[in-house]
Amino acid sequence: MTENIVQLKGVSKIFDETVALADMNLSIRKNEFVTLLGPSGCGKTTTLRLIGGFEQPTNGTIWFEGKDISNVPSYKRRVNTVFQRYALFSHLDVYENIAFGLRIKKLDEQTIRQKVGKMLELVNLQGFEARDVNSLSGGQQQRVAIARALVNEPEVLLLDEPLAALDLKLRREMQHELKNMQKQLGITFVFVTHDQEEALSMSDTVVVMQDGEIQQIGTPEMIYNEPTNAFVAGFIGESNIVDGIMRQDRLVDFGGARFECVDVGFERDEPVDVVVRPEDLVLIPVEQAKLTGVVRSVTFLGVHYEMIVDAADGTGWLVHSTLMEPVGTTVGLGLAPMDIHIMKKVSE
Amino acid sequence: MRKRAIFSTIGSAVYMGLGQLINGEWVKSIFMGLYHYLILRFVIPTLRQTWWGLITLGEAPRQDHSIVLLSYGLVGAIVTIIVVGFYLGNIVDAYRGGQRRDKGHPAPPIRETMKEMVQKSYPYFLVAPAVLFILFTVLFPMLFNMSMAFTNYDLYNSPPAKLVSWVGFENFREIVRLASWKRTFMGVLSWTFLWAILSTFSCFLLGLFLAIVLNNPRIKFRGIIRTILILPWAMPGFISILMWSGFFNTSFGPINQWLNAIGVASIPWFQNVFWARTAVVLVNLWLGFPFSMALVSGVIQGIPAELHDAAKVDGASPWQEFTRITLPLILYAVSPLLIMQFAGNVNNFGVVYLLTGGGPPVLGNKGAGGTDILISWIFKMTFDLMKYNYASAIALLIFIFVASMSVVNFLQTRAFKEEDMMG
Repeated sequence: MTENIVQLKGVSKIFDETVALADMNLSIRKNEFVTLLGPSGCGKTTTLRLIGGFEQPTNGTIWFEGKDISNVPSYKRRVNTVFQRYALFSHLDVYENIAFGLRIKKLDEQTIRQKVGKMLELVNLQGFEARDVNSLSGGQQQRVAIARALVNEPEVLLLDEPLAALDLKLRREMQHELKNMQKQLGITFVFVTHDQEEALSMSDTVVVMQDGEIQQIGTPEMIYNEPTNAFVAGFIGESNIVDGIMRQDRLVDFGGARFECVDVGFERDEPVDVVVRPEDLVLIPVEQAKLTGVVRSVTFLGVHYEMIVDAADGTGWLVHSTLMEPVGTTVGLGLAPMDIHIMKKVSE
Repeated sequence: MRKRAIFSTIGSAVYMGLGQLINGEWVKSIFMGLYHYLILRFVIPTLRQTWWGLITLGEAPRQDHSIVLLSYGLVGAIVTIIVVGFYLGNIVDAYRGGQRRDKGHPAPPIRETMKEMVQKSYPYFLVAPAVLFILFTVLFPMLFNMSMAFTNYDLYNSPPAKLVSWVGFENFREIVRLASWKRTFMGVLSWTFLWAILSTFSCFLLGLFLAIVLNNPRIKFRGIIRTILILPWAMPGFISILMWSGFFNTSFGPINQWLNAIGVASIPWFQNVFWARTAVVLVNLWLGFPFSMALVSGVIQGIPAELHDAAKVDGASPWQEFTRITLPLILYAVSPLLIMQFAGNVNNFGVVYLLTGGGPPVLGNKGAGGTDILISWIFKMTFDLMKYNYASAIALLIFIFVASMSVVNFLQTRAFKEEDMMG
């Protein structure tokens, strides 16, 4: 179960002058759903293209099932790709799009029909064989793209923001289906997205990247609950990030008050980033609160209200709460020690 | 119960506005009656003259000019169609009005009728000038040309000395029956198609080849090469053609002199049918490939890079990638344009006429030289042989051919198919 299928060892990629990827080490286990998550330009697509064999690494090696495949052309790798804009062949119908790779391999007609039929069943497109791909909806085109990639029976499927062009409802459905497909087929999915919610809901492992470097690798829960730095915290969900000073183990100063926390291992009086999730801030009576402020704005978001509370020191605290106070009210904000996350300042 | 509808319909058929009067819409009725009177009193007598002219094309030579009568007759026919249209509209209106009354609705009040008339006629009033303009600048010349194909209008039947008369399909029959005409027509027709195919595909293939080569990032100075190659397109066509006709000159042209310099005998470019045809195709290629190159370059650059990646992942070799992905996508995009280029080349008068003048002469041919295509032959038939009737007949055939090709092509375009293209 824990056998590594793809490994990147010290891989870097430099385009002209720009460093797209800097000394990346990553191991992907068999049957794992791995998501590369990060803002645009963070190197996640470059990573995918390196694994897919569309780009050669400037430095470092790529390993597949224990063999160095850095110089193996893409079609000899047991890897296939679902492209962001589907990349369907618009002059071919659904059947021929899926059969393309099989025809290149010169398989006989009966095998092709059988394999394509199985794929159409997998992606729920039976009866669509003769349809013009241009007449399909976005979701259906997406399914054809997935079928075309899977028909070649890859060990690893690379998906480059496959759901970015779909509307929200369809995206949710496809997320479920992709996850189910991955379990059913028992192959490895490497999924690229900039949507943190998508990453959290689908993945076994999330790799958060920024500026060509891995920021954190972990399960969705780990990434969300224990972000290693302010970037990860800010990127995964919404966060309040303020400056603080670590007085001693389990004691931190920020927002003009002293708070108990659970973090240890910092130097005395070390400046740190303090991260607090908006849903961890609760509205409490002013006289009981260490943190107080005036409600600047209230937005109703369905499940909860989003409020911005201006503290005396000018910090605008983002608060998610099912209760609301009208604009202009002075409120107190309470938070438990375990909801205060202390992070080392990233050296500039 | 449907009495009123029937009576008013009959009434309006007898005299415009009568049906409306039966229906109690007397304001409308007055307007229509007045219109009917004016038409009967002033327009019909004139129209009658034009009908007589159109049908007989004149009865007394030197007195009646057949071609003038033909043109008046066609104008008269167009006006007649408009008048009849109004008349039919009046009957339909009377029937509808009667139906309304039969269902028990009262006649609409005057004010409402006036308002409705103004509102309904307003858009027609606005487009009327444009429609009339189109009728007389597009439809009229076309009809005039077509009708000449069914007359005996030529050098020997020319007004004012002689009358022209209708001959039905006689011209079409004669072109394929009289031996010399038949031979010329078949020869010119087959060369026209050969020419259209050669000129269209030579330009496309060269343009395709250059576009693909120049799309390769390993080629240096691509921008400069592309600019130079696009230049023939930027020059006025007739200047290029006249320049080339000098280059190909058999005695003094630089092409033959260069050939001589490397020890090849002079080629009789404009004296031999084969070489003259070669020259025309080559010059047209020189004129036409930049457009195809620009077109295909655009299409190639429009193919997403992901498509090539997708083909590579599936194991396609560069050649398979080209034949299975790039080329089909190019053809998919440019085939409607290729068809239009083919149709355009059927009528490509300029290159033939300016380069070879249709020559070299072919013995026994009716007016057409070795490189003459139908359209340049038509030109010669009108200006040299004065066979206006045959020229019109052949022009009509070309028109039918090119128009049907364009219609089929248009029906095939995506815009016409009601499909959700971008999903």
